[in-house]
Amino acid sequence: MRRMVVMETPEQHPSNGHSTEHWVNDSAHKAWDRTRGAVSELKRAAAIEERVNRHPYGSVAAALGIGYVLGGGIFTPLTSRIVALGLRIGVRLAVLPMLKDEISVLADALGGEGEGKGRRGGRAAKPSGER
Amino acid sequence: MEMAEQIESTVREVGARVRPQLDDAKRRLTSLNSSVTGYIKENPGRCLIGAIAIGFLVGKIARRA
Repeated sequence: MRRMVVMETPEQHPSNGHSTEHWVNDSAHKAWDRTRGAVSELKRAAAIEERVNRHPYGSVAAALGIGYVLGGGIFTPLTSRIVALGLRIGVRLAVLPMLKDEISVLADALGGEGEGKGRRGGRAAKPSGER
Repeated sequence: MEMAEQIESTVREVGARVRPQLDDAKRRLTSLNSSVTGYIKENPGRCLIGAIAIGFLVGKIARRA
């Protein structure tokens, strides 16, 4: 059966001559090395550095959001306020240009109709010199 | 016509006076941006962990409030 190196006790190697302090030191070093290896592996797997290099502000914002959710802030009045503000701004940005286009089309249509009526009625748009 | 010319000259004067300040502010903001992004790129782990911690605290505060 394979034993973890970190879990070894001095009793399992009584003849190696190491004191308890040395054994603790070695174990701590090994544990630290393994943790560093795991962290670097995780970094490599998630390509965190690449992402941060590509989008530094976005990565920090994402980390802030993750922390906010972990801190339990998702179902709070602050979140609802932020969401409402974002929705309002988004709706304004999306709807206002559309409304503007529609109104300009409507105004063009009304203007064309008015000119047509004026021509048919024979009253409208007399040149100022004729008055 | 005279008033329009006066307004135009005033606007030009103000623009000439404000332009160096605007350029200076732009330069400062650009250098700040580059230094911040440089720091984030040099220390990604520290920045991300710090951001998570700050977000966690804000979430906790928002939950209590």
